[in-house]
Amino acid sequence: MPEIRLFGIRHHGPGSARSLKAALDAFNPDCLLIEGPPDADALIPLSVQEGMAPPVALLVYRPDRPRDCAFFPFAAFSPEWVAMHHGIAAGAGVRFIDLPHAIQLADGFGAPEAPPEVAPIDAEPVSEAAGNASEHQPAPAAIRRDPLGELAALAGYPDGERWWDALVESRAGADGDVFAAIGEAMAALREGAETDADEAFREAAREAHMRSAIRKAAKEGFGRIAVVCGAWHVPALARHDAKGQATADAATLKNLPKTKVAAAWAPWSYERLAMASGYRAGVLSPEWYDTLWHHEGRVAARWLARAAALLRENDLDASPASVIEAARLAEALAGFRGRSRPSLDDLDEAAQATLCFADPAPMGLIRRKLVIGERLGATPPDSPGTPVEADFAAQCKRLRLKPGASAGEITLDLRKETDLARSHFLNRLALIGIPWGTRREARGRGTFKEGWFLSWEPEWVVELVAASAEGGTIAEAAAGRVRTRAHGATRVADLSGLIGTLLDADLAEATAEVIRALNDRAAVSADVFDLMDALPALAELARYGSVRAADTAPVLAVVRGLVPRAAAGLVAACQSLDDDAASAAKTRIVAVSGAIALIEEPELRAVWGEALRALADQEHVHGRVVGRAARLLFDDRAIDAGEAGARLRLALSRASGAGPAAAWIEGFLEDSGTVLIHGRELLAVVDAWLCGLDADLFTELLPLVRRTFATLAPAERRAVGEALARPGGAAPGEAEGAEHFDAARAARVLPILHLLLGPEPARTAGETTGDAA
Amino acid sequence: MTSTNAVKAAQLRQAAEDAFAEEIAALRQSDDRPRPPNWGMSPQAVVTYLLGGRLASGFEVTPKYIGDRRLMEVAVATLATDRALLLLGVPGTAKSWVSEHLAAAICGTSRLIVQGTAGTSEEAIRYGWNYALLLAKGPSREAVVASPIMRAMNEGRIARVEELTRIPSETQDSFITVLSEKTLPIPELNEEVAAQKGFNLIATANNRDRGVNELSSALKRRFNTVVLPPPATIEAEIAIVETRVAALGRAFEIPAEPPGAEQIRRVVTIFRELREGITADGKSKVKQPSGTLSTAEAISVVGSGLALAAHFGDGRLSAHDLVSGISGAVVKDPVQDAIVWREYLETVVKERDGWKDLYQAARASA
Repeated sequence: MPEIRLFGIRHHGPGSARSLKAALDAFNPDCLLIEGPPDADALIPLSVQEGMAPPVALLVYRPDRPRDCAFFPFAAFSPEWVAMHHGIAAGAGVRFIDLPHAIQLADGFGAPEAPPEVAPIDAEPVSEAAGNASEHQPAPAAIRRDPLGELAALAGYPDGERWWDALVESRAGADGDVFAAIGEAMAALREGAETDADEAFREAAREAHMRSAIRKAAKEGFGRIAVVCGAWHVPALARHDAKGQATADAATLKNLPKTKVAAAWAPWSYERLAMASGYRAGVLSPEWYDTLWHHEGRVAARWLARAAALLRENDLDASPASVIEAARLAEALAGFRGRSRPSLDDLDEAAQATLCFADPAPMGLIRRKLVIGERLGATPPDSPGTPVEADFAAQCKRLRLKPGASAGEITLDLRKETDLARSHFLNRLALIGIPWGTRREARGRGTFKEGWFLSWEPEWVVELVAASAEGGTIAEAAAGRVRTRAHGATRVADLSGLIGTLLDADLAEATAEVIRALNDRAAVSADVFDLMDALPALAELARYGSVRAADTAPVLAVVRGLVPRAAAGLVAACQSLDDDAASAAKTRIVAVSGAIALIEEPELRAVWGEALRALADQEHVHGRVVGRAARLLFDDRAIDAGEAGARLRLALSRASGAGPAAAWIEGFLEDSGTVLIHGRELLAVVDAWLCGLDADLFTELLPLVRRTFATLAPAERRAVGEALARPGGAAPGEAEGAEHFDAARAARVLPILHLLLGPEPARTAGETTGDAA
Repeated sequence: MTSTNAVKAAQLRQAAEDAFAEEIAALRQSDDRPRPPNWGMSPQAVVTYLLGGRLASGFEVTPKYIGDRRLMEVAVATLATDRALLLLGVPGTAKSWVSEHLAAAICGTSRLIVQGTAGTSEEAIRYGWNYALLLAKGPSREAVVASPIMRAMNEGRIARVEELTRIPSETQDSFITVLSEKTLPIPELNEEVAAQKGFNLIATANNRDRGVNELSSALKRRFNTVVLPPPATIEAEIAIVETRVAALGRAFEIPAEPPGAEQIRRVVTIFRELREGITADGKSKVKQPSGTLSTAEAISVVGSGLALAAHFGDGRLSAHDLVSGISGAVVKDPVQDAIVWREYLETVVKERDGWKDLYQAARASA
């Protein structure tokens, strides 16, 4: 019978990894069974290949539905990674023994309903979810989720991470006995724990599979078998040779559904490893763990010296003397709190008190660079990539874009097929969080040209990998991202903005979905102004989108649906507005009118025109809105000068009050005074109104009227002024000339001019006179 | 001895080491952990003294500082590593209070104190001369008048500097030699006073008002800085006001009933809302007045309300007794703050259930 040992580890724990390394060296197993996806067994040897640099992640996914996937990140300090390397170096058999994801990702696995969460399935509910240990009476499920957190809470530590850090990770030596102790502690914890039904089934199946794998390895004739698994599973796996267990496990694993899955190594980053949300509960301090793993002993001094160097690089004062003081304070704090060595907390507080003079900004820098870290992993070039990576590489090759190349500008001609595809590609990348290209104003400003500035950042590789969770190709992932965003959008205008991006990225299917969502949202939206905000962008798309060879018919359909809705609610929405709101409403009305003019659909124009007319007829709506509605109708020739004059007179009549009248004028005239220049009748009305005001009212309204006229172009203002100065006179300029022109005196110059220029027809003489003057 | 105790008991305000002499004695007695040289108790015991707790003997230590334990740990560890401690914070965050209790617990006296003002001279920090003796006998150790700092160095105790940033910069720099060399030279005698083990310095400074003398970077580097934040939760702040008001009531022998928790909660709520510019339920914004509205001011509002109730009222703290204190604390600028206060009354106090009496009292006094 072979010797089988169980090593309960904490995922991503450097102390755990160190203990494991020492224990494996002593035990020297010829077979290593690691809690991990057996679907990726073939990829294990790649982990020692040249070019492989942690942090990396194993991705297991369904090729037919890449959204169903699971990530297994590994850092250099992950015990599983250490075990893999140890096994390969020693020539031992190395296998993953978790329940295959071919089963876990299959339809109908687990509870009858598919798990509702959008995020990929957690490979292993990890034990370091911090922050929930503060509850005094944890639910049993919390113990299952965070067994060490509960142990830590009992020991009086604020969270599991610190507790393990103090008891295991920061221990000076490496000690194999720790594994026996962990096994016992977990056995005690599991006794009291219950799991919810959904998780229970998954867990039972996983542990059954792991036990069968252990028995299988034992039968194959290995002599010394080491099992490396999460601490939580140790008591369950220890039962692998119990009587009747094999039969029970076989029953559990019988008739489980199966699907086809693929696996790949992918680069990962510390930042992503630290992300508390997402694929796995994060490791809160990867870079600190990295330091602990790579530098045994004197970690505190090293870490503080790096902190000081970092501060100096950023032009912040950090003297070596301060580092010494910080180290002393950290040691004192550790001793004070009964630890043999300073933990990250102690160092953090010491750095804050001595190096940063209690200024929070430098601490943020230290946190980003030295606690979380910016390390980026790499995989060997010949290892199979994730589907999105492969798609990315293929597209880059096809479109002759090179990620590694130095930054530069390109100009795309959208009439060319390749350039159009490039534009789509860059837009899609931007949607999945890779802003490789930034839009620039293209030279020549032609609608067919598009300028891009390209600059590649290495860490985007990780974004590509992460995008695998949304789809198998760049296009699918981008569409998936947009769907999520559309789902979260609360305003119709947000959705209409998305449609523009989608057309740029040529994602027809997602466009259709967003348009449907927009229609649904618009149907129930009570906010007319929101609808109006959405219209201009959509109208522009419907009109000009075709340049990009995109199908804009659906957009036009949306516009056709939106305009009547906006028109129907316009009058109601404009009731009881204050000055600011009226100004905003006016801007929207102008924008929508512009949009409708752009589309050139007579029906829509008619519908909107009616709405404007109804608005212009309102008695109690803010004058600025009503005035502008009247003006828009006039500009659109829906009403003639006579009617406009009548409306103006009504609005300016004494009964309506001077304030509203001024607002009406403002709405009517703002930004353009051509109506006054060409419509003398209107000008006369305004003039009469203004002259009829008494002195007090005039003083009161003067600023408002001035403000209105200030928005007119200077030339318009002058023309209006001149027209008022000479009611019924000749055209400006001529008038002045005519008055001071003395024909007799001019005639006296003519003989001399005749001498100078020779005999000319009289018409030319007139011109010459002009020149001489 | 009894007579000095009687004299001390009659003092308007007792120093920390006298007011809490019993607790300090009990802590020293039960403390079996190693003590740094010349310390009255171990660092752990100092933290217990500050934050309160039950000793093995069953003796109950009252909390002096209600807040983050880790901050107190950093402060005490700093003093144990013979680094000087700088307590920073906005007014009313218990900087001086913490400094006083730290000194009392560590070395048994909190009285070696230099009050920083714009007029603080170098003599107040180093030493002065007894000019009669100086003229009669010439320069001698006898003629030197030691500053509190010099005495603390001689005796290996903790010296305190209040409002460090109010001291002119050139005077501030006298601390540099003291803190880095741990000696105080007396060039006139060609001698120096070397600090005994156990000497250290606690300085407090306000990091809110900017019209002060910033510390030079040379001096800054010689301090470990601990920022004391305003109370994190309303419950913590109520606890602070309650304990302090109870202690003040005893000290001033105010015959009123101890205030109900409800009145204190109202005062603290008003102060917090105005200080943070947002109502407690996080639903609406509130204009902020120009003053800091610290916890210390809340304590004095409740204290003066109690005195009003005892001497002019029915002995029970009512809204009426509180209102003048509150508006006095809020309205520091007679024009701007008055608007803020009126707006707050109309929009927040008036609407709140059970606050009608407060609203009416405020309207009546306005």
